[in-house]
Amino acid sequence: MIQTEPRGRVLIIRLDRADKRNALTPKMLATLVSHLDTAASARALVLSGVGSVFCAGFDLSLCRDDSSALRDLLTGLSRAVRAMRSAHCPVILSAHGAAVAGGCALAIAADIVITTPDARLGYPVVRLGISPAVNAPLVRAAIGDGPTRARLLDSALITGERALSIGLAHELAPDPAACEDRAIRIAEELAEKPPHALAFTKRWLNELDGTDNPRAFDTALEVSLSLHGGVEERDRLEQLWAARN
Amino acid sequence: MLANLTISGSIATLTLTRAEARNALSIDLLHELHAKIDEAASNEGISLLVLTGAGKSFCAGMDLKAILDDPSAPAALLHTLADLTIKLRSLPCVTLAKVNGAAIGGGCGLACVCDIAITHADSKMGYPEVDLGICPAVVAPWLVSKIGPGRARRVLLTGGLMTGQAAFEIGMVDHLVPNVSELDAATDELARRLATGGPQALRATKGLLNDLDGIIGTDIVRRGAELSARIVSMEETRAALRAKFSSTASKP
Repeated sequence: MIQTEPRGRVLIIRLDRADKRNALTPKMLATLVSHLDTAASARALVLSGVGSVFCAGFDLSLCRDDSSALRDLLTGLSRAVRAMRSAHCPVILSAHGAAVAGGCALAIAADIVITTPDARLGYPVVRLGISPAVNAPLVRAAIGDGPTRARLLDSALITGERALSIGLAHELAPDPAACEDRAIRIAEELAEKPPHALAFTKRWLNELDGTDNPRAFDTALEVSLSLHGGVEERDRLEQLWAARN
Repeated sequence: MLANLTISGSIATLTLTRAEARNALSIDLLHELHAKIDEAASNEGISLLVLTGAGKSFCAGMDLKAILDDPSAPAALLHTLADLTIKLRSLPCVTLAKVNGAAIGGGCGLACVCDIAITHADSKMGYPEVDLGICPAVVAPWLVSKIGPGRARRVLLTGGLMTGQAAFEIGMVDHLVPNVSELDAATDELARRLATGGPQALRATKGLLNDLDGIIGTDIVRRGAELSARIVSMEETRAALRAKFSSTASKP
């Protein structure tokens, strides 16, 4: 459910579960982490998704029969965003169509984000009794404290255009194919630059915005996990499944 | 009564009702706001608190005119405001500023303390403190948190006021409607949506955000009140304020 395509010095990693809008499973997140950790020879990474949307977030249908699935998803997501941040080379992400909840968390962990004007981005999870706290350190690093409150406390999605204006995305491309192409093009350009300069600069930026601090990620994950298994979460997920049936 | 708290389901609305003074923050109004926020904090059924102003203004800021003749009044007023901002930010429920009209100085500060803000394109917002010879020290930490240090530097050192449209463009408000006539409906829709969030998920998320931006855990806002009070008490400031108020005394 994850495919990789080396292209010269660029490694393209794609979420490959288009029939489920690339909804994330614990296995996919673990595979993503192992690709990120072993991509030492790549000079730039592209993270994209097969099909018309980048990623619809967690596959919550897994939580129906497995009460520990949400814990595994939150923990896996936390590991994946840390791996993206600690990768030595830049990560360019194609957030075409939609980057929702866990998908938005992956987008905001990237160094450069391209999206499409009518894409839907955001964190519609508090209404499910789930806290997006796990992603808070990266959201505030990317867009600042003020916009972070407006995004994490509100279940509404914003468009790609609005994401660009608040700094959640850096560039727009007209459609999904152009979006991934543009991400690859940027990665190819960065792959030509001295890798040590990019690595040191990225590491310095992580230090400046505090996203090199593992304790910040641990605390954020603990807040999300603290609600897991509670009545509110269970009731609201049951309502979601009832509505889907 | 200078402030009014109403509760409908899980949504509370706190309204400044000193419309004849453009909801300017007198010491009495600040004390009432403290009491109302205490009341809201003790009600666990509230998921969202909407803060707004009666009449055409949201809040015209500190009522400086009333304190000019009492040298000890400014410090009390500023410390009461500082504590109010911390109390408002510490509320476990989500807070939404409905900026119905002018939000000036301390009034704009209250809007920025709220988690989320909505206004219309023609409202007037900003921090004209430096124009009056005073220092927006209490509200500065909240503005820096809201829009970032780079933009806050420009806003606070420039003084003056901006339109709601401009406030939206720099991130001082999060939602904008083109016309004041659309504000009620848009706020109701936003409030209903925010109140659909799981109360525990909202509280946990907001609690972490309060920890992360670190303002409540320090004495920075109270130190701001001390700095601001020191500057208001300077003779050149009081002379400048007296001149300002006498020149505008004939205006309605």
